Amino acid sequence: MQLFRHDRLWRRHPIKPSYDVVIIGAGVHGLATAYYLGRAHGIRKVALLEKNWLGYGASGRNTAIIRANYRTPEGVPFYLASLGLYEEMSHELEWNVLFTQCGHLTLAHTDSSVNGLRVRAETNKLLDVQSALIGPEEIRRLVPGLDLSARPRFPVLAALWHPPGGIIRHDAVVWAYARACDRMGIEIHEHTEALGIRTEGTDGARRVTGVTTNRGEIHAATVVNCTAGWASTVSRMVGLDLPLVTHPLQACVTEPLKPFLTPVIVSSNLHVYINQTDRGELVIGAEIDPYQCYSLRGTLPTLEQMAQQTLELFPQLHSVRVLRQWGGICEITPDYSPIISGTDAVQGFFMDVGWGTYGFKAGPIAGKCLAELLATGRANPLIEPFALSRFSQDRLVGEKAAAAVSH
Amino acid sequence: MTDSARIFFNDEPIPARPDDTVASALFRHGRRIFGRSFKYHRPRGLLCAAGRCPNCLVNVDGVPNVRACTTPVRDGMKVAHQNAWPSLDFDLMASTQLLGWAMPVGFYYKTFTRRWMWKLAEPLIRRVAGLGVIQGTPADAPPSYEHLHQRADVAVVGGGPAGLAAAAAAAGAGAQVVLIDDQTKLGGHLRFLRRIDEEISDLIDSKEAIKGGRGNEVAGRLEAAVREFPNVKVLNQATAFGLYEGRLLGILQDRRLIHLRAGKLIVATGTYEVPLVFENNDLPGVMLSSAVQRLINVHELKLGDAAAVVSHEEDGGAVAEDLRASGVRIAAVVPPSDVRRVKGRRRVRSLLTRRAEIACDLVVVRGPRVPDAALLSQAGAKLVWDDEAGAFLPASLPDFAAAAGRVTGDTSLRGALIRGRCAGLEAAGAPRGPADDEPFREPLRSPAPLHHPLSREGKAFVCYCEDQTVRDLEDAMVEGFEEIETLKRYTTATMGPCQGKMCQLPSIGICARRKDVAPGAVGTTTSRPPVAPVPLGALAGPHLHHPVKRTPMHELHERFGCVWTDMGEWKRPLYYTKDKNAPMRACVEAEYRAVRERAGMIDLSTLGKLDVAGTDAPKLLDKVYTNRFSDLKVGRARYAVICDEAGVILDDGTISRAAPDRYFITTTTGNIEFVQQWLEWWAAGTGMCVHVTNVTGGFAAVNVAGPKARDLLRKVTKVDLGPKAFPYMGCTEGEVAGVPCFLMRLGFVGETGWEVHFPAEYGEYLWDTFLEAGREFDVWPFGVEAQRLLRLEKRHVIVGVDTDATSTPIGADLAWVAKMDKDDFIGKAGIARARGRPARERLVGFVLQDESIPEDGSAIARDGKPVGRITSVRFSPAHGKAVGLAWVPADMADPGREIDIHLSGRFARAKIVADPFYDPKGERQKR
Repeated sequence: MQLFRHDRLWRRHPIKPSYDVVIIGAGVHGLATAYYLGRAHGIRKVALLEKNWLGYGASGRNTAIIRANYRTPEGVPFYLASLGLYEEMSHELEWNVLFTQCGHLTLAHTDSSVNGLRVRAETNKLLDVQSALIGPEEIRRLVPGLDLSARPRFPVLAALWHPPGGIIRHDAVVWAYARACDRMGIEIHEHTEALGIRTEGTDGARRVTGVTTNRGEIHAATVVNCTAGWASTVSRMVGLDLPLVTHPLQACVTEPLKPFLTPVIVSSNLHVYINQTDRGELVIGAEIDPYQCYSLRGTLPTLEQMAQQTLELFPQLHSVRVLRQWGGICEITPDYSPIISGTDAVQGFFMDVGWGTYGFKAGPIAGKCLAELLATGRANPLIEPFALSRFSQDRLVGEKAAAAVSH
Repeated sequence: MTDSARIFFNDEPIPARPDDTVASALFRHGRRIFGRSFKYHRPRGLLCAAGRCPNCLVNVDGVPNVRACTTPVRDGMKVAHQNAWPSLDFDLMASTQLLGWAMPVGFYYKTFTRRWMWKLAEPLIRRVAGLGVIQGTPADAPPSYEHLHQRADVAVVGGGPAGLAAAAAAAGAGAQVVLIDDQTKLGGHLRFLRRIDEEISDLIDSKEAIKGGRGNEVAGRLEAAVREFPNVKVLNQATAFGLYEGRLLGILQDRRLIHLRAGKLIVATGTYEVPLVFENNDLPGVMLSSAVQRLINVHELKLGDAAAVVSHEEDGGAVAEDLRASGVRIAAVVPPSDVRRVKGRRRVRSLLTRRAEIACDLVVVRGPRVPDAALLSQAGAKLVWDDEAGAFLPASLPDFAAAAGRVTGDTSLRGALIRGRCAGLEAAGAPRGPADDEPFREPLRSPAPLHHPLSREGKAFVCYCEDQTVRDLEDAMVEGFEEIETLKRYTTATMGPCQGKMCQLPSIGICARRKDVAPGAVGTTTSRPPVAPVPLGALAGPHLHHPVKRTPMHELHERFGCVWTDMGEWKRPLYYTKDKNAPMRACVEAEYRAVRERAGMIDLSTLGKLDVAGTDAPKLLDKVYTNRFSDLKVGRARYAVICDEAGVILDDGTISRAAPDRYFITTTTGNIEFVQQWLEWWAAGTGMCVHVTNVTGGFAAVNVAGPKARDLLRKVTKVDLGPKAFPYMGCTEGEVAGVPCFLMRLGFVGETGWEVHFPAEYGEYLWDTFLEAGREFDVWPFGVEAQRLLRLEKRHVIVGVDTDATSTPIGADLAWVAKMDKDDFIGKAGIARARGRPARERLVGFVLQDESIPEDGSAIARDGKPVGRITSVRFSPAHGKAVGLAWVPADMADPGREIDIHLSGRFARAKIVADPFYDPKGERQKR
């Protein structure tokens, strides 16, 4: 029985001189891409490079909320497919990722946000996503502790209820993929930093030849950038400027409490989201910091703001103590949708970046589609709208209203 | 000392002394089990008695997870146990221990991998997890918390000897000092010592000689010496919980949160003791030596009858003396490497060593000392492993920070006082004395947390919060979690209520031992604030987080029976009704009819208003807005749109030219701050001579509109309002009812009308004046909802409602606002690109073909799939049908084409129309 066996989840390897595919960044996106390369396409001579330890970046810093109730006809099917893969993940990878579909509730406190939520509910329904606009009575039934009185400055008017949404153990997802990759012979190299990406040829016909790391040179004709918060830096290694801005995103966690809150609560107007983990802690997240920065540190004003917004929703939590706060960094595109494609500028260079504050939710499907693109050269219809070329073709996919603060 | 207070534990009255903590009172009364552990519900007793370990969390007066050992008693206090049923002494959930063998590390990850299994198991796991219970409801008034903002020349954290010496020296040199200490009295560890024999008078300015004595007394004299200084502010029972960027120190003092910005920071936080790892090291009766000294010397408790002291010192050291003096027999002093396990069920019965079994009811552990360097780490210091000290010591401190006392690895009292004084003088900018370099040092010699290989049977706890044992951590390392950061995440050790204080060093020890490296090679986890738990209420503070903005006419609207809506921070009338039960649609239609048939008036004071003046004002507006304003004639107004570089619409409004070098701008209610910043940024960046002044709060505004608007206004102003003298889109300054006003003739609602802007203090007066003057025309105030309907019939777009973060003027049917023949403006390139290729989506007007009225946000469908969305839709009294605006794919946007609107389960048909729904030629507003 596996329960009592203590097998290594992933092994260490010396760096080989050459791989078919080198993936920079061993977070959920890089790992998922490697996993599907191996499983669906038989490409197993793959190296994952991780600058720190596995899951150091956004994969270990996000608030682990999964949902599919996006806004655009392009975004909804994509995130829905991801939700489906998450539902099957524990079984498929034989590793419980603790995905609890406790439901996801987005609160609206103004007329205009009610309308914004209705756009999402209507689009969701037509695309077979369980999603509905509900009123205060139903909200009270779902979250008895929520302050639905007229006391708050912006009383709750309605909410978008998305039953299949929920929370997951984000580290477990990383470990599960790592284990599955390792079993297929895909190599995970921790503490291996990409220092440069080598190319040959002249502008217009350049192509990738390999990666320079702190552990030596690697030859590879295909290099994938899956580095979330550091994506613009890595893309610049091949001279590619991406339309990304970098902002810190902060969160905090409280002491464990007996069950108090079942669904994930998001407030579209107060810019805060709260869930209670199976261990009983409340995890509270903020909107992105208002300035561009690369800091991973938490700040006091943001912590205070998270506390204020939380107590605006649940004033009875005033004596609950915060144990930890932390920050991550996210790189955001102008339309709050990701970039998943190659580029004509550099053959063999692919990216799965621009994940802003919504990357973890999309990890499995992004990896699956990117692996397909790498293996076959064809973009799955699900990721076609997210190509880098959309920025020069006026094909933006405007998800800001559903992605900016609504985790 | 006599009992003078009474507290209640689970409703049982317990006598208490005035200086008791909840824990000391309960202990004196006979309580030994204070809590039950998180996972196995094992009984837990007092361990650290210093507020660091998770063992004594209780509910105090309804507040969960309160540390009994540091909470002073208050008469009548109600204390209740947590996480045990039916009682602490007999907890049924403790049966989970029996299954402990079946729940190795990673248990949850390796079980319930089928969806249905997890669906069944998860709710059960959830129910047994967690510690405290939230008892209040939203209706309970929370207590008041406060925020203070302070500054100081020098902040000293820690009121032990080093901190006291630092504060005294810095204050003596003239600095303003804030001393932060988390205990009830100053003195740090001195308070818990029975005797101090050193003479230290030469090291601190004190009126009376300090020649040793009881620890408490020496501490008291040191405290008195520091309190002599008027420029030292002492924050007692206050915890500096985080050092943030900009040298911002967050301090929690009861229900007060203090933001302290100090020029220099001196950290004298000392060390704390953590447990040794051996089997059953969590049984009630196993206590840290520092806890024992504190409970004996401060609270005068007799902790047991016979104690086994686990210590490197042959005689057991000072703690053994203290135990003897308090009447406890020392059964044995055992070196740590000899310890095998503690025996007993609910409390200690004996200590099994390599040589013998020692009967005792108390096991006193002299554990490793951990320098409390979290704040220094947050300040940017490195924590470097020192093999001799057996500890991570702070190094490479930034310029503004210094450390003194035990936190630096020096345990001597003289050393603490000397280094403290040095740090204080240096922080105050004073020269150091010659004696201050005296190398007086008793280096820390901390024992290792682990001493011998442990058997894999039984439970030797590393992490008390999460019930993680040595075996759990070792198994996790076998599975590949060999780094302290991944080990932490897999086992959850260090992630519980103790925040890693008790378990970080032992975890590092296990990691190092298994990898056969020094603890320094393992490293520590990142020190994240807060270093002590901080309540949400204290963080939130007392502020009214979201200000309410009210227009000058707020009370009049209220009296007129208005229903409010929130627009940004502003309160705006949505509609008016005397009868709160009247249906909104009827009220709005009455307001609508007043505007279309007679006259209506709306309070527009919330509009953003900017005065833009200067010789470069025309140039700035031509640069920032898409249309042209340099050729706008004085006395004329024009619709105005701002785009970003990509051509996306950011805001709209009107711009009127009051003078050749002066414009008056209105913006949308929510965007004023943005537009102001945007204009100022571009003005500054291009070096233009122009001043942008936000006059939003200074001016009130009323729009009077309708066929009778001119007649109404003529009664109160001499300004010529005739169609020739004051044409559509004209503007002028003029007096209205004696008030200096700025009048603009605009047509947002599609009727003859004037927007009248005037000093806000005349708000109520002019509103009443207009109402009175309009009485003969049956004038009626109208709210935002009627305005939305009126403008929708005119197909006027509301930015942010009908547009989103990807809308350009081209798609939004506003191509005319982009003057592409201008030299340059922000967004020109983006709009040029958008023009150069076929649009994907267009904003179109539509009329419903049947009687249904969809809601804003409804989807437009093609073949059952969403392809577009309605941004605004209302029943149009002019049309007798619902009309609206929607984004549809460009190939569906031709006038006359029919579209399907999704209405809960069915589709309604609508026809796209090209013209405004009302007065398509725009004749009425020009009359």
